[in-house]
Amino acid sequence: MIKVGIPRALLYYQYYPMWKTFFESLGAEVVVSPRTNKAILNSGVTRAVADTCLPVKLFLGHVVSLIDKCDYIFAPAVINLGRKTYNCSKIIGLPNMTRALIPECPLVLAPQIDLGKWRYHLYHNIYELGRRFTSNPFKIQKAMEEAWKSNLAYRNKMSQEGFTCLEAISGVRRDEPRPDSGFDSSPLLTIAVIGHPYVIYDDYLNHRLLLQLQLMGTKILVPEMVPEEELDAAATRLVGAPHWSFETDIIGAGEYYLEAKVDGLINLSVFGCGPDSMMVSFVKHRARELGTPFLHLSLDEHASAGGVLTRLEAFLDMIKRREKICV
Amino acid sequence: MRVGIPHFGNVYVAIKTMAYRLGASDSELVIPPPMTQRTLEMGIKYSPTEACLPYKLTLGSLIEACELGADTLAQARGTGICRLGYYARGQEQMLYDLGYNAHFITVDVSHHKLASIIRLIKDMTNNAPWHEVISAFFFGIGKLAALDRVENVVRKIRAVESEKGVANRIYREAVKAIDDATSSKEVKGIAKEYIDRLNRVPRNPAADPLKVGIVGEIYVVIEPFANMDIEVELGKLGVEVERTMTLSRWIKYSLFLNYLGIDEWREVHKLAKPYLDHDVGGDGWESVGEKVLYARRGYDGVIHLAPFTCMPEIVAQNIMPSTREDIPVLAVTCDEQMAKQGMLTRLEAFVDLLGFRRRRRDGR
Repeated sequence: MIKVGIPRALLYYQYYPMWKTFFESLGAEVVVSPRTNKAILNSGVTRAVADTCLPVKLFLGHVVSLIDKCDYIFAPAVINLGRKTYNCSKIIGLPNMTRALIPECPLVLAPQIDLGKWRYHLYHNIYELGRRFTSNPFKIQKAMEEAWKSNLAYRNKMSQEGFTCLEAISGVRRDEPRPDSGFDSSPLLTIAVIGHPYVIYDDYLNHRLLLQLQLMGTKILVPEMVPEEELDAAATRLVGAPHWSFETDIIGAGEYYLEAKVDGLINLSVFGCGPDSMMVSFVKHRARELGTPFLHLSLDEHASAGGVLTRLEAFLDMIKRREKICV
Repeated sequence: MRVGIPHFGNVYVAIKTMAYRLGASDSELVIPPPMTQRTLEMGIKYSPTEACLPYKLTLGSLIEACELGADTLAQARGTGICRLGYYARGQEQMLYDLGYNAHFITVDVSHHKLASIIRLIKDMTNNAPWHEVISAFFFGIGKLAALDRVENVVRKIRAVESEKGVANRIYREAVKAIDDATSSKEVKGIAKEYIDRLNRVPRNPAADPLKVGIVGEIYVVIEPFANMDIEVELGKLGVEVERTMTLSRWIKYSLFLNYLGIDEWREVHKLAKPYLDHDVGGDGWESVGEKVLYARRGYDGVIHLAPFTCMPEIVAQNIMPSTREDIPVLAVTCDEQMAKQGMLTRLEAFVDLLGFRRRRRDGR
């Protein structure tokens, strides 16, 4: 059986169920790289140029960990996800960077996903991808349809039933961890965490920030819990027509949750992220207008769990004290 | 209406020419003072920390234009080209917060380029008649083309002149003279005169200049303040610099010939294909292709200029070392932390390396 390796990084968090269904219905076996760990981080960091952002370095590390375990690496070049928008250059150039920086890696499957072009272009690219597994075009079409269905189901699970990405992928809902007794948990704070899914859900990258927040007795909201149309509408209200394909994750979710009057907003971003550097200033500006506490956490490979934790505690203490004064 | 523009290479010459040609008075156009450390500091102070250098510099420049009383500002915009699409949005908000109630007019540099530039000129000039707008436009472009012609010569002369600094002085005079010229014929005459003068500059007979190509992000490549006069410094070290990216070339192709299906980067893209097979925004694709091109043309080295955290250029930087065509590349990251001495040391080391390589190649 042909084995397809999918790195557990970047677009994995948004599209894994879709990719898995596609390859499995074509009769291939899907191998996912292990969760991010120190070895993966190190092998990624040593390969790339220093200025590269951490998620891309982690992606490379995940690819290295898949060498010898699969026949193909799947790394699509997602150019955009809609007309007149664009993805980050690093995501567009991902397959080429993978080939250049990891010469020993298995063949990289890199279909171009460009929804700004004709629909035919997309279908053609998917067909070309499927041809590696079967010569039957109907089988490829069926796999494509099933993949799309599973993608919709995955989205619904998150936006309707309030699953987070990881829970929806595994299908198991974790119990909310009980807050530590050390924290005063009587008024449950609602904190919205905005950012790219590959930053919010990579526990190693963000030092288990979501779990820490839950342990401190807060209710967490993430962008995926809101239907996409509402995020789009919120983004348009704040800055107008979107420029980036993932603008909804930051601007849309930021504006949506600020309007919903959350107690605090945390932006989780990585150092050197080009799109974030521009978008965050809008959300920050809006938060200042509405008087909502806003924390911008910029992570990189040198960030330490202790430092992140201290800042979180200080942020939550600040919110609590503020509410006491206001009441 | 008082229109202000940010500095970008010699663009101000063209804009000034067009505006005056169309009867704008001195008070209607605000050209900010040349960029200085103060421009940079203001840009840094009012920009998001992780924004790129072109954003900070253009913001600083626009603030200086506002201080001189500009109420309408021109800035580039576009989709599919990195952060540039967000420049106008972010800067407009920042200037509003600073208390300048400036209105932005944006030039689309990705789609409908020609139409949006003509519209910009019409906006700036209270709907002057079409034929006048077009004639003024071509006059402005003519000046840029003349400046680029002179600049192409000065890059070669700087490396071989016997007394350092003469060519640069002549170039600065040429910019002034072309800026003041009042007709297309005069511009052509001035360009010719200065090119002749440059060619007559006494040369060092023993000079055998190294040839280096400059590639990278368009703003830091073209704006000397952003790259700390890297071309002049290389000239002082006796290096002949070549760069394909010039303003007049961009205008010639992007505004006219691209619509006729002529792509100036075709050859470069073809060379980049084996390593990077599609556009990644900005100038990343071109940087990879140009590296291959310079290697094939037998250049001694390549200098890759990129603003700090520039996404397309990081992709290019990651891919460049893997090309089969071997040529030394010096990646210079331009940001506000860059110090002139540090850059000079790196340039000297790079030039030494190139000289060593050439001597070894020639068997000396």
